[in-house]
Amino acid sequence: MIDRYRIFLLFIVVFLFMAIFAPRFFNVFNLTTIMRTMAMNAVVAIGFTIVLICGELDLSIGTIITFSGVVGLGLKEYLGYGGSVPIAILTGCGIGLINGLLVAKAKINSFIVTLGMMTILQGAIYTATGGNSISLSTEDAFAVSDWLSKMILPLITPRVLITIGFIVFFTLFMRRTRMGRNFYMVGGNTQTAWLAGVNTDGYKIVAFIISGFTAALGGVLFAMEGSAATLKLGDTSLMYIVSATIIGGTAMSGGKGGVFRTFIAILMLDVLYNGIILFGLGNEVKIFIAGLILATVVMYEAYAAYKHDKIVGQRAELLKELNTKHGK
Amino acid sequence: MMQTVQKESTQIETRLRTQSTFNRIFSTLGVYGVAVLFLLLGIILQISGVINNFLTAQNMLNIIDAVSLLGIVAMGMAFVTYSGHYADLSVPTTMALTGIVCVEMLKYGFFPAVIISFIVGLLVGGINAVAIGKFKANPIIWTLAVNYVSMGVIRLVWVNKQIYPDLKASSVKASVLFDNIYRFRFFDKIALPMVFLIILVIVCHFILQRTKFGVQLKLTGSARNVAKFSGVNVERVISIAFLLCAATATLGGLTVTSLSKVGAWYNGAGYDFKAVTAVVIGGMTLAGGRGSIIGVLGGVLIIGLMNNIMTLLGIGTFSQDMIRGAIFILVVGLNAKSLRSQGRDDA
Amino acid sequence: MSDTVDAVAIGLAFEMKSVTKAFPGTVAVDMVDFDVQAGEVHALVGENGAGKSTLMKIMAGSFNDYTGDVFINTKEVSLHSPSAAKKNGIEMIYQELSLALPISIAENVLVGRLPKKSFFLDKEKMNMETLRCLKMVGLDYLDPMTPVEEISQHEAQLVEIAKALGNNPCILVMDEPTSALSQEEVERLFEIIRNLKKRGLAIVYISHHLPEIFAIADRVTVLRDGKKIATKNVSEVTREEVVQMMVGRSVNEFYKHEAHTQKEETLRVENLSRFGFFHDINFRAYKGEIVGICGLSGAGRSELARVLVGLDDSDEGKLYLHDKELRIKNMAHALENGIAYLTENRKTEGLALRLDVRENVLAGLIPRHTKYGVYNQRLGTPLLNTLIKELSIIPPDPNRTVNNLSGGNQQKVLLAKWMACDTKVLILDEPTRGVDIGAKMTIHQSIERLAKEGVTIMLISSDLPELVALSNRVLIMRQGHFIREMQKSECTEESVLLAANGEGGE
Repeated sequence: MIDRYRIFLLFIVVFLFMAIFAPRFFNVFNLTTIMRTMAMNAVVAIGFTIVLICGELDLSIGTIITFSGVVGLGLKEYLGYGGSVPIAILTGCGIGLINGLLVAKAKINSFIVTLGMMTILQGAIYTATGGNSISLSTEDAFAVSDWLSKMILPLITPRVLITIGFIVFFTLFMRRTRMGRNFYMVGGNTQTAWLAGVNTDGYKIVAFIISGFTAALGGVLFAMEGSAATLKLGDTSLMYIVSATIIGGTAMSGGKGGVFRTFIAILMLDVLYNGIILFGLGNEVKIFIAGLILATVVMYEAYAAYKHDKIVGQRAELLKELNTKHGK
Repeated sequence: MMQTVQKESTQIETRLRTQSTFNRIFSTLGVYGVAVLFLLLGIILQISGVINNFLTAQNMLNIIDAVSLLGIVAMGMAFVTYSGHYADLSVPTTMALTGIVCVEMLKYGFFPAVIISFIVGLLVGGINAVAIGKFKANPIIWTLAVNYVSMGVIRLVWVNKQIYPDLKASSVKASVLFDNIYRFRFFDKIALPMVFLIILVIVCHFILQRTKFGVQLKLTGSARNVAKFSGVNVERVISIAFLLCAATATLGGLTVTSLSKVGAWYNGAGYDFKAVTAVVIGGMTLAGGRGSIIGVLGGVLIIGLMNNIMTLLGIGTFSQDMIRGAIFILVVGLNAKSLRSQGRDDA
Repeated sequence: MSDTVDAVAIGLAFEMKSVTKAFPGTVAVDMVDFDVQAGEVHALVGENGAGKSTLMKIMAGSFNDYTGDVFINTKEVSLHSPSAAKKNGIEMIYQELSLALPISIAENVLVGRLPKKSFFLDKEKMNMETLRCLKMVGLDYLDPMTPVEEISQHEAQLVEIAKALGNNPCILVMDEPTSALSQEEVERLFEIIRNLKKRGLAIVYISHHLPEIFAIADRVTVLRDGKKIATKNVSEVTREEVVQMMVGRSVNEFYKHEAHTQKEETLRVENLSRFGFFHDINFRAYKGEIVGICGLSGAGRSELARVLVGLDDSDEGKLYLHDKELRIKNMAHALENGIAYLTENRKTEGLALRLDVRENVLAGLIPRHTKYGVYNQRLGTPLLNTLIKELSIIPPDPNRTVNNLSGGNQQKVLLAKWMACDTKVLILDEPTRGVDIGAKMTIHQSIERLAKEGVTIMLISSDLPELVALSNRVLIMRQGHFIREMQKSECTEESVLLAANGEGGE
């Protein structure tokens, strides 16, 4: 029971801790900052979660983020945002499609496919940009970023709204529609799903496309945030999103977990990082803490499984017998 | 009617048998076959004037130098993959960590520094061993997490600084010794890392093929539960695999740090991917229990030849990255496909 | 499809005429005629390799290249794909569970046909429909939203059946449905099957287990070498006749074992307990005897075996080997001392399917053939060849991948592994489960030979004829305790079964 709501508890604990102890935490400005960073990662994490639920792994999301950021900004001067953004997003979908085809049709392990794709994209990014980051210098450079950050309501900016919109959509989709539940089945027992007529190959491909889509969307949002696409844009994202997804309860084995839980995990991690910075600890601590939390969660689950294996199958009547015997 | 069926069936049987023998030969020698193919490719390109200096002694030595480092790390990685645990993604930071620790500890002398580095490396390996060997944590996610934690440790303790061996060393001698890890050459030609690699290949091949540990590792990689039910101490066997990987990562870390002459957090970056590529191209499947060390060496050679030819062709580093990534996917895909057609399900 | 079924199903539900399926090198099914009536249980028997599983796969629509005619309710159909089979009302229940563990019962049962209401799932309908299916197997006390991993193994198997029934099949094919069930669970399953018969379902029942077939089936068809030998009414044929048709030669399936006279004690167990699994176990075993352990599922037999061999730790009690106290630390330690265990799960715990026969058979000998850390694999070759010959492992090729062997041969390889180990005490757990008659005979012969050579054999088996025939005495285990010991003279299938149920006798 605790397991299912673990992430919510964790979030509340972390939030309260920071609210009480971290200096300058609980004010509009700071909370807005949190909302801003969270927004972009949360979007990307949606796709990753869905791929994981299908029982596959997408290690290429970090590089998709960077790549689409580069494409989105790089093409802006030729096509304007109205052109470059859709193209960037389509590129992400295209990469996801290739990943999906290789995994589902060529039947290559997703670890291999996405690891290889990540390397390919790294090369592509450098080749495309010639090693320089792209930044905009025109007056409207920050226009979009500003618009996205305009506060409509306290804490709610258009950027946040977009994110929450996607979160709500995908959460409902995965929980309450037939297609969404089929993703779980594909991850839970692929063979059975296939025999029952579910197009498992198709679902896996779609999962990767969604992952590419959300990564591209995140990349564009990231890039527009700073109006610069640095070559390190998506580097830390992979670790961050993997951590959040696993902490949120989506298992690597597939068939379990959820988009909303990943979202709460992202929120929690962002609050945590924010607090760390406010405490005056540097960037390095963030990486360390992220890894530490992930390791803790993984170890916790492994240990729980280990303990469970030891006692599974115990019979209640026999245990009761023991109590009476020792009680005498 | 029955007779034709019989005749057909014997024909088919023979064909199946030759096919499976062919596949078996192809997979073990296949790796070196591909390596030879690359060699031929280089020769052809040279003869047709597209590239120069391929078939020179210097170039061949360059290739071997370049792959020695990769080969060292790949040896340890091979044990992890063979055990059925895919890969140890904490290798890059273990390399960086042990390198920077060694440089830092040079102030106590060369040999103490090296010993301390190995202790640190084996500690990381030990953490992996416990989590994955005893508690069955997911190897990819766990080693990824350890990678980040190690990275954090490095950046916390040394605060993003780079440290230099000649500045840290207790004596000139210590500093020179350290530099020589990468630079020392026997007879002016054979670099020390290459010697390390050759020794490692021989030792590791022997360990994998002929020792009790190696055979038990094969069983564990093939079917962990079955190994347990056959009396194999599975936890111990897996732990040793991860410790071996950490050990070679340490050696690789010292070498790469010696090469770059600076202790930093980015030494070792990318070696997880490169090592896994070599291991997988060398014939080890991710599912475990299949392949050989000699095969992995072949994989390393293939990568070396491939990189060399691409550089001679003038292809830029990053384009090379793209090609390497694509080939990685291709090789694994083809390997898995051929195994599947033989009726063995695999990675 | 459902209207074909709900309309009263009478007469011939399924008929195959001259169906043939060939593979490169063999003809697996050769001009077989087979039919099933609505409301009948038709058993399909035959040794491994006789063609049962191929025939079953044809019915499941796994092949698109069989020849012959297939009729469903007298209408000709072609079963060229799994979906075609499903559309025609054929549902399969395999030995391995096809359920997805982290997912709810409802989503498993309704996989592929989740009901929806405009964009969203219709939760109410899901619940109702799932309960309707669960009711047919007596599981309507379960909450459909429960993940499958939270229910018991037996309940999960029933859910599997409920899932098949939910598709309103007219023909149900069950492959070895009782191989992992206890007696009471088998009875419950038979009840369900009888209910399904009343509803007009045609049931094909594939099993190795003759007593069950005689208990539940109406007709039986015997296959041998891909051909149909005969179809008979169960009431008009005897067990021996069926076995004779299956094997093609007169077979004495049962062995009369001489009374055991050796009195040298090898194993003694005192007050052994593992909390929650078994308590207070006391017994002695002697050189050269075969001690049967009988009990219903959950009695704790396999758990006891695992503790004896070091795979699990005991919580209290002592073990004596040749009168010397022994604290077993782990399985390797047990093996060193000559105690070995043949697991009941040969595919997941017994054999490394991707490795070859040689590597599997010699797996337990690795420590013994190692000197200074170096393992010499040639040391095992003569032993390997002897064992392959003795157990008639077919094909007799030590380099054959175990996955490519038939079930019976796989089990022989597993037995060979422990026979190679020079054990003093060998614990066998369901040594002939899922094994054809010929292999079963060979395995029994080898067990007897081992006993004659002085090995103490502990035989855990739910195959009552086997247990009764081979054992010198039988220990009855029930709910974690040994409740009774029965000498050979008192053992019949009925008396042993009654004792295991806690009734009869003292």
